[in-house]
Amino acid sequence: MAGAAALRLRQVRGRRSVLGCPGSGAPAPPRNWFVPPPASSPAPSSSSRWFLTGARAALSVPGLVLFAGYIGFGGLLTGIDFPFVAGLLSTLLIWALPAQIILIGGLATGTGLVPIALAVTLSSLRLMPMVLSLAPYLRGTRRSLARELLCAHFVAMTVWAEGHRLLPRMPLEGRIPFQLGLGCGLTTISLSGTAAGFFMAAELPVWLAVGLLFLTPISFSLLMIRGAREATDWIALALGFLTAPLVAGLSGGMDLMLCGIGGGTVAYLVGRRLRRRP
Amino acid sequence: MIDFSSEWTAILIVILVGFLPSEIWRMLAVIAGRRMDEGSEAFLWVKAVATALLAAVVARLIFVPTGALVEVPLWLRLLCIVGGIAAFTAIRRSVLAGVVVGEAILVLGAWWLG
Repeated sequence: MAGAAALRLRQVRGRRSVLGCPGSGAPAPPRNWFVPPPASSPAPSSSSRWFLTGARAALSVPGLVLFAGYIGFGGLLTGIDFPFVAGLLSTLLIWALPAQIILIGGLATGTGLVPIALAVTLSSLRLMPMVLSLAPYLRGTRRSLARELLCAHFVAMTVWAEGHRLLPRMPLEGRIPFQLGLGCGLTTISLSGTAAGFFMAAELPVWLAVGLLFLTPISFSLLMIRGAREATDWIALALGFLTAPLVAGLSGGMDLMLCGIGGGTVAYLVGRRLRRRP
Repeated sequence: MIDFSSEWTAILIVILVGFLPSEIWRMLAVIAGRRMDEGSEAFLWVKAVATALLAAVVARLIFVPTGALVEVPLWLRLLCIVGGIAAFTAIRRSVLAGVVVGEAILVLGAWWLG
């Protein structure tokens, strides 16, 4: 308890220093400073500066990949005459491409709404461990449930991978605005992709369609490899990847949870053993 | 067959059948994760599970593809991934380089196979 209280105190102090009242107890900048805000400018704008840093981080290879992926999704919408605004809303609100494809694909094949809702629920189950593992970075100095829910909304594959890479190196007060900036940036890019796909879907040449579809798996393979540091990460990656084809026959959603929980637990146990070895 | 051609019906479907069933997991995670600390054992386990899960999702996209990718043989899909990783490792761990090389192998391979 004492440790937690000390931590809270340190967080409060850190916050005060950001607001530009360097009292006698103002601590040194946190370790692993990511992109230090220019020292000369006044501090109150630092939140918006972190937001912009996050938005700029969205203009990256993962952002490009999302754009391309959502072009494909926009084409899917046109294919079944799904209304434009509702299609855009699905990107904004659902913000998980697999769930969106299940929804639109289900509607296209005349599946009932209840089975579609169940399939979406199962496919989005994977969001829970993703949000859980980013949550400690997204609390900020003062807890706010609404803000935590907003930060969590942006968590999907891309934000999860980029978040784990970038957030830990960032000072506490920069993490939430950075995450919101990254999320808003990527959402804007994806909305543009959805709209672009909706209006220019007509006839993509096969080689381009193949290329667009392959962007997600190739870029995520590389992002995950780049993000892996410890033995646990590598074992989890290998087990998740190798067990997925084995359970492919099982009905959607739970099979992947099986790979995740099984592979993740084994990776965690092996990693803990390695850490505790003298 | 559900008639989703009117904008408002479609919006309602998106919210009830798409948004709520996915967002519920994010909300539950926020509520369940409020007490979890970065670096705690529970955190390390959840992170390992999320990593394995994401790897499984990606493997699914490669091994059981959809759409036009079905026409590309499995060995070519795997070759693209291997080539992409090799380029990523060789060229300063650049994701862009890996993606470009993997995509080039795919497009050239698909073209060559006809």
